[in-house]
Formats: sequence, C-alpha cells, structure tokens
Amino acid sequence: MASGGSDVDAVSKALNSAQIFAGKQQQQQLLQQPDFNHKGVDVEEENGAGLEITCFSDVFNDVPLHFQILRLPKQIYVWIGCSSAKLGNLYAAAPTRPKDTVSVTSILGGTSDNAGTGIARRLVLKTGLNVILASNIPKNSPMLQAEAEKLLVQKLIHLGYTRQKAELSSS
Amino acid sequence: MGSSVPRFPVTHKSLSLDIKGNKTDVVLCSYDDHFLVVATQIGAMGTILHARKEEGVSIEPTFNVSSIFGKRDEPMLPACARKLIEHISTSGSPKSLVLSLGLKDHSVETLRGIVSAVIDNRLW
Repeated sequence: MASGGSDVDAVSKALNSAQIFAGKQQQQQLLQQPDFNHKGVDVEEENGAGLEITCFSDVFNDVPLHFQILRLPKQIYVWIGCSSAKLGNLYAAAPTRPKDTVSVTSILGGTSDNAGTGIARRLVLKTGLNVILASNIPKNSPMLQAEAEKLLVQKLIHLGYTRQKAELSSS
Repeated sequence: MGSSVPRFPVTHKSLSLDIKGNKTDVVLCSYDDHFLVVATQIGAMGTILHARKEEGVSIEPTFNVSSIFGKRDEPMLPACARKLIEHISTSGSPKSLVLSLGLKDHSVETLRGIVSAVIDNRLW
C-alpha cells in the first residue's frame, strides 16, 4: 500500500481502529491528492473500503461552489454547495419507463423554484442512474445554477460516470 | 502543506463493515446544518429518513422522525434514525439528520450493528 506522509498514516490508523470486522480482512487504500490547477480547483478522492467520494470546489463570479459526488453501484448522490456548507434542498430523480423519460421530486425542503429539479433531471439523462441531489443554490440565480451544472457534468464525464451517446439513443 | 485554496467545507468519512454476513458501506458527512449518514448493502441509498429535534420548552427533548423517500412501513428504520438523532442531540449538536438505509434485512441485529458503527465513527 503506497502511503507517504504522516497524516495519511494517522488517518489510516484512525479508520482501521474504527472498523468492525467479522472474520474478513480488508485492504484499505487512502488516497489524498490535492490537485491545484489554474482555476483553483481542489480535488480529493478517497478510496477507503468501497465507496468513492469525490469532493471539489471552484469559484464563479467570486462565489465559491462546492461539490460532492458519491458513487454507489446503482445510484449517484450529489451535493452542490453555494458559499455555505448547508445541505439545502433534496431532490430524487430516476429514469422512468417506457421511454427515456425522467421523474423528479423534491423530498426535503422543496420550494416552488425549479433549480434543483432541472439539474437532477439532466443528471439522470446523462448518467442513466437514479440521482439524489442536495443543493443549496439560491433560487433566482440561473447563471450560478448553469455554471454549477456545467462544472458538475464536466467532473462526471471526467470520472466516467456518464453513459455513452450510443446507449442514450437505444431504448 | 500551506496553500491558498481553502479546505473543503464538508468533512466526510467512508467505511465498510460486515453485518450478519452482508457487506455494508457506511458514509458519514457533516454539513452546516445536517449530518448525512448513508448505510447501504444493496448498492443504492434505499429509504431516506429525516430526523430533527423539535424546539420546545420542556426539559426532555422531542424528536420528529419521518421517512421522506422509500419505505414507510418498516418500524426499525425510524427507530434507527431516532436513536441516532438522540445521540446527536445529547452530544450537543443542534444539527438534523438525514439517514439513508439501503438494507437487505431489517432485523434488530442489523440495525443495532449500523447504529453502533455510526456512533463509533461519528462526526459529532
């Protein structure tokens, strides 16, 4: 297991002591690779024991945007934070038969604005998976919503979570 | 490391354990106003519950626990959320809880295992 740096060891030790095993040995790999590019995007990926969580941040018009992507085998959970780290409103969206339509609903904190529903819907279209979206982007800020969605989709494509165009056209 | 990029504002923890023979992935996240706990054995988030402490004047706190997505007829799921929100509240945190349980079985032992794993790895 490649691990350089004392803080990586410390976190690994903390995780090891917190685990409950039932006669099964698991290997953990903790990757912390802060990656700074010219936009100031900070990417952390943690491959500890099964589930990948991708966290990154960006700035748009002096507004910090934070993103979290949790990839489950059959679902994706996404959090978009605008300035603050509040959970925000929760939306659930899923592909619906018979055609490639999408159903979306607000499940927590929903108001009359359609900010999150639109993003959740398009994420389902792009990934083909069920999506749970948490977003605290304020309503009446379409530029921010569009930019957040653009950054998110770029990251999803980069991570390989979107489906190919060939799959999209088949039904 | 010393950089000008601010730390990511949400702390999270991800672990995996075995409960009654089922591999269970647990993810905990700490937001400004909520804790998110995901415990899944089925590869999806499953049922999502919301638990919060009610504002009141009495000494004994009361909690509101409801299923906001998924199963509503499994009594052990809100019980699990109730146990966790009470633990959060007695630890002094005012945050609410969003708990997601995607489980293969809803037995008492499984839920006890999840509650103890979450409490052992808690972010509050």
